[in-house]
Amino acid sequence: MYMRRLLTLMVSMLLFFASSVFAQNKTVTGKVTDEKGVPVAGASVQAGKVGTTTGADGTFTLSVPANTKQLRVTYVGFESTSVSIGTSPMSIVLASEDKSLSEVVVVGYGTQRKKDYTGNTASIKGSAVANRPVQSFDQALGGRAAGVQVNIPSGVLNAAPVIRVRGINSLSLSSVPLFVIDGVPTFTGDFSGTNAAANPLAAINPNDIESIDIAKDAAATAIYGSRAANGVVFVTTKKGSRGKAKVSYDGWIGWNQPFGLPKLLDAFQYTELKNEALRNANAFSATNQFRLTNGPDGQPINTDWYDVVYRTGMMHNNAVSVSGGNESTQYYMSVGYTEQEGILRRNDFKRLGILMNVDHKANKYISMGAKLQYTNSMNLASQSSGSLPGEAFNTTGLGRVPMITAPNVAPYNNDGTYNLAGNLIGVMGNLVGQVGFSNPVVGFDLNRSNSEINQMQSNLYIQAKPFEFLTLKSTYALDYVYVDNELYQHPLSNEGFSTNGFAQSWYNKTKRWVWTNTAQFSKSFKKHNVSALIGVEQQKTEFIGFGLSRQNVNDPAFTNIQGGWTTPNTAGLGISDNYLYSEFASANYNFDRKYFIAANIRRDGASQLGANSKFGTFYGISGGWEISEENFWKQSFFGKTFSSFKIRGSYGKVGNISGLGNYASLSQFTSGLYGGAGTVAFAQAGNNNLGWETSTKTDFGVNFGVLNNRITAELAYYKNNVNGLILNVPQPPSAGLPNAIATNIGSLYNEGFEYLISADVVRGKNFTWRASINGAYNHNEVTSLAPGITQILTATSGLESVNITRPGYSIGQLFVTRTAGVDPATGRRIFVNGAGRQVFFQHVAPAGQARFMFADGTTAPAVGSQDAVVYGNTIPRWTGGFDNTFRYKQFELNVLFTYQLGYNIYFGSNAGLRDQRFWNNSTDVLARWQKAGDVTEIPRLIFGDNISNGSSFPLDVNVFNGNFLKLRGMTFAYNLPAKYADKLKISTARFYVAGNNLAIFSKYPGPDPEVSSNGNTPGAPGVDRNTIANARSITVGLNIGF
Amino acid sequence: MNKLNKILIATGLAGLSLTSCKRDVDLFPAPTNTISDLTAYDTRDRIEGNVRSIYASIKNSGMYGGRYQIFNDIRGGDFNNERTNVVTGFDVWQYTPTNNSTNSVQNHWSQAYYVINLANVFLDGMSKKGTAVVGQTLSNNFIAEARFLRAMSYYSLLQFYCRPFADGNGSKPGVPLRLTPNTGSGNYALARATVAQVYAQILEDLNFAETNVPLSYANATLNTTRAHRNTVIAFKTRVYLSMGQWNNVITEANKIVSANAPFAAASGVVHTMQANVRTPYTNFTTTESILSMPFAANEQPGTQNQLGFYYGPAALNGGSGEYSLIGTGIIADANWKATDARRGFIQTSGGKSWLMKYTIPSTFIDWAPVIRYPEVMLNLAEALAETATGVDARAVALLNAVRQRSDATTTFAPTTKAELISLILNERRIELLGEGFAGADLTRRLQPLPAKASVASVPSTSQQYIWPIPANELLLNPLMTDN
Repeated sequence: MYMRRLLTLMVSMLLFFASSVFAQNKTVTGKVTDEKGVPVAGASVQAGKVGTTTGADGTFTLSVPANTKQLRVTYVGFESTSVSIGTSPMSIVLASEDKSLSEVVVVGYGTQRKKDYTGNTASIKGSAVANRPVQSFDQALGGRAAGVQVNIPSGVLNAAPVIRVRGINSLSLSSVPLFVIDGVPTFTGDFSGTNAAANPLAAINPNDIESIDIAKDAAATAIYGSRAANGVVFVTTKKGSRGKAKVSYDGWIGWNQPFGLPKLLDAFQYTELKNEALRNANAFSATNQFRLTNGPDGQPINTDWYDVVYRTGMMHNNAVSVSGGNESTQYYMSVGYTEQEGILRRNDFKRLGILMNVDHKANKYISMGAKLQYTNSMNLASQSSGSLPGEAFNTTGLGRVPMITAPNVAPYNNDGTYNLAGNLIGVMGNLVGQVGFSNPVVGFDLNRSNSEINQMQSNLYIQAKPFEFLTLKSTYALDYVYVDNELYQHPLSNEGFSTNGFAQSWYNKTKRWVWTNTAQFSKSFKKHNVSALIGVEQQKTEFIGFGLSRQNVNDPAFTNIQGGWTTPNTAGLGISDNYLYSEFASANYNFDRKYFIAANIRRDGASQLGANSKFGTFYGISGGWEISEENFWKQSFFGKTFSSFKIRGSYGKVGNISGLGNYASLSQFTSGLYGGAGTVAFAQAGNNNLGWETSTKTDFGVNFGVLNNRITAELAYYKNNVNGLILNVPQPPSAGLPNAIATNIGSLYNEGFEYLISADVVRGKNFTWRASINGAYNHNEVTSLAPGITQILTATSGLESVNITRPGYSIGQLFVTRTAGVDPATGRRIFVNGAGRQVFFQHVAPAGQARFMFADGTTAPAVGSQDAVVYGNTIPRWTGGFDNTFRYKQFELNVLFTYQLGYNIYFGSNAGLRDQRFWNNSTDVLARWQKAGDVTEIPRLIFGDNISNGSSFPLDVNVFNGNFLKLRGMTFAYNLPAKYADKLKISTARFYVAGNNLAIFSKYPGPDPEVSSNGNTPGAPGVDRNTIANARSITVGLNIGF
Repeated sequence: MNKLNKILIATGLAGLSLTSCKRDVDLFPAPTNTISDLTAYDTRDRIEGNVRSIYASIKNSGMYGGRYQIFNDIRGGDFNNERTNVVTGFDVWQYTPTNNSTNSVQNHWSQAYYVINLANVFLDGMSKKGTAVVGQTLSNNFIAEARFLRAMSYYSLLQFYCRPFADGNGSKPGVPLRLTPNTGSGNYALARATVAQVYAQILEDLNFAETNVPLSYANATLNTTRAHRNTVIAFKTRVYLSMGQWNNVITEANKIVSANAPFAAASGVVHTMQANVRTPYTNFTTTESILSMPFAANEQPGTQNQLGFYYGPAALNGGSGEYSLIGTGIIADANWKATDARRGFIQTSGGKSWLMKYTIPSTFIDWAPVIRYPEVMLNLAEALAETATGVDARAVALLNAVRQRSDATTTFAPTTKAELISLILNERRIELLGEGFAGADLTRRLQPLPAKASVASVPSTSQQYIWPIPANELLLNPLMTDN
């Protein structure tokens, strides 16, 4: 080191002498512009040791030694250029950087030139997710990357999307990829404890995102070893760049509407059909019948419950950012505020966030930087939407309430009071016991189910470069999530009735710190380019939760836990932690940018795992060959056809513990109460050998370009073998164990191929069209489960088991009982029992007949879920997107289509829509069987019949093909020409109108084939059970740059 | 190298060396809100906590804290299902639960065996460590309680899943007898023992318990919620009654029932009837309540397990009104006079009659009665009546004592043995209504399950007479057989 300083000193002295001896200067002036003649401010102009930066108008003045011949001009985003000093004022034009050279891929702990990269990573620009009517950026990723399936599970605001990278890779753990924000692994899922959803990724203002890189294969993900099985999503927020401060304002307003709601019977049809059903059940009488009721206007009440529950939600979003910097310090600062109303009444989302990224170069050796991000988000709801995982059968679920509540009653009595009978909605003029569950208006007016989240994501790094080829870096990061959950249920409301009011507040703290220390080595020796990285990382996450639950209010005026109540019970208690210790290394080598080889290795120790298997080692290796650089290729026919052609492949092993309980491997005793005294109960049988799920990934592909890379393509084949799946292996109940013991057993694989083709279809002077189409085919198959477990049934909300996982099939196939239509002679539902025999069913059997009968008239055993068969896959085989950007002069049109093909959906809501209890029905039921000879799919209506149409056990009639093509996003924008912008003293201005979910082309009868009642639950995809529709949104927006 | 660099590197090295020490601690976390299996028997308090956890488990999730009683009640002929909800026993009520009935067949089985395993784990923990911590005497106290609770669980299993002892004298398939602790993965295939073998184990446990549990506890609450000697004896009378071993019922009952009125236990906790039949339902810890499952605002029965929730309608106690009383059932008994204090438990609402023994509105924390003294008296009366050649005078006295507490104007004077037995059984339906006796009282005598509303009677020979074995047990225990 001393040698180095000595050398530096000597060189400086020499230069000093040189300059003092030959000091004779000349002045150079000039202007730097881009290709369009727009001045480039802040460009660096260097002549040897002296230099300056250009002013706001792009001009510069520089005094240089008289013998200086060349100027070097550099600016971010442009090709650096060296020009011979000519006559002042000089005119220097900077050419935009060649994208293919500057494009980088974010990899773990750094970036890599895309051209040198041999892993499989899909890159998405931040602009693709900015200014969309979404709560979190991940909701806007659908269709943007090959092999990455993104479904929006419902129209509930801020529900985490269902994201699958190359299929479902786990059965009982999470299948959600790891999200790494600015180098720090963060949280996903739903952090709300209430009926409002709260995806922690919503803490990031999508406008602050620079890029998103989704790593898919072992080479790309292995540096995140034990957490990489589901892929890794790297998110990079915006940083400042040299130059004067740039101020940017983004604002939009918009509105949300539900779409595709099933058509329901009106009050008149309802009353008529329900009475018909009563007659058919021999239960119609003067005192037992449905009747219309006149409303305050003297006309029969005819309530459209959709209008009561859904709304047009208004939204707006405002964000301001400032970025800039000088040679040594760059900054990016932003503040954003958004308020969004969902399509469900009282479902709102508000976010206020600030972000600051600062990078500072202290001297030649040391640089440092920090990120500070604080976000407050309010996730508000009144009551259950019935649409989040576990809520499907909530009697107050707002997806279900409008579909089943009788249209011939109103939310209010004629005197304006709530229409209530106990905890249920009142029957008004109907002469029956019940015509609905809850009266949703009471909940809208009086109840709360809110979650407020305060999240801080910050980090600080310091970096030393003792040698040109070595970078030492230490990063300390915090990710704190504080959640305030608050529930209140008024004594009048359905939920609060039985407890005479209910209030519960509980607070959850999740605190994570990550400390990463890396050493990066990078050097080129002639044609050998080598880089290597070693590092150590620790991650600690602590969780604490506590709260208070109160019942039986002293006075209805009290609406929070602080008021007067009878009971003081605890709520939301929890305390746990986890810790991950990792050592990792990676190395990249290429020869002459023709032959590439890379390897990653990571050893992880995780506290969640069994005492005997804390550590695991994961790795990925990859190689690539840029054939187009070879002389034989260049001279061949191929060389003339393909402007680039690279073959690449990778292989490796990564792991998964995401979603595993913090103490899943321990044997534990928990404490409760008996007779007011403490207990110590054996509550969890552990497993000291509990280890990772491992995922062996193979990937082969080619990347090529033709017509001078005007058309580029990336094709890949992959296979992902997952072994040691953690299953909670059930023991015989008589063994009396407190839990099914988590055990590494079971295996599955995903295999498929992906393509991404991008083309500049039209490259005219005024008109351009850039198209990009991506897609994937995936085959998922479970190969083994645990001994003694032939199948796993996964229930929807704990009640209805329609998904089955069996070896030899894909995860979560539908498991339904077959039907064979409706008997035209009698209107009875025909079931097909497990033995394949037709069984005729009538809910109320006339004397001498049975409810279940064979065709020959003999009594048949009751048909039920025991007769179900594995019926169809729920995981789409084909997924993808088609993205088009058209530009004409200042106009720009972006159109994004997504599609999913080759799968089934269980439309469970349809069972409810045809249920013959008091429930309202869809208008399909008008086609019911009425007389002998009627050929229809709707059986004879018999009151109380909850079997014929699938409420009691799932039926094949409610399974539909899910294929869809969706116009997911469309943006029409106008960019203000520079000459007008200049007059307005602004640099850029853009106006746009955008739409989300504008059209769906699908034969699916439900609202949206994308919805998922079970959210991210791996074992239960493809279920649409009482889930609210998705929103269709229109936004109008403006971006201004100063 | 400048100063900043040196500081940086020094800090880095210091940090690295610090973290490697901390690493092993963090990788092997010790939860702060649970207790490790390694230290669960380290102190007296912890050991007693283990004992209480077995009680808490027999109370929770629908065993003796509510569902055992309810399932037995609704297998009789006195309650009408109002809600057609299988979650609250509709299938049990109409005698049609299946192997897959989660809320009855599967849950009761799982919970009973969870209790059994807790007891087994406890016995193992005591022999390995606990006995040394608390000493032999206290250890035997605790072990006796654990064995008592294990016996109660096996007894409840036999009532639902097995043919009554009377059918073939216990020769029919019982349930798997598990007496060793299960704490991890293993091979748990085990065939069914016979009914007689299971009863033998129950009695072995109870005999051990009788001589090893304390004679009494420090206060009335503990005397009602923890097993003492008279609790064990009282339960033994029920077990022998279920086996039809009348002489043993008499032997046991005589230990805690005096020869003559006023009937009371002579030693230990002095159990006797309260003057007012309502008292035990408002004061849960009188000497009438031999064993009850305690509840409190911070120790609730759990959703859809609460007795008051099932039997009380919204208008009376804010309950769900799952089951009303059948108008033609026991409440139609002309000899049950309107002035009988127990008629006060029957209230009407919405044109239906409801059992209002459990009156606390939501959160429905009435204690769940398990053994009351009048049961022991009637157990004894029945056994005496059965074993006598004629009309047993003491049996009549016991019967009248129970009746006259609530209805001083009635004195039974049966003239035949059969009439006496019939009167005693009828008195059980009145006195123990809604306390979990109807089903087991029918099956132990091989009586048909009664017809009611749309449900046909089920003869004792029918497959429907007892519950099927849970499907998950059949699937996962290859040696298990269905009923």
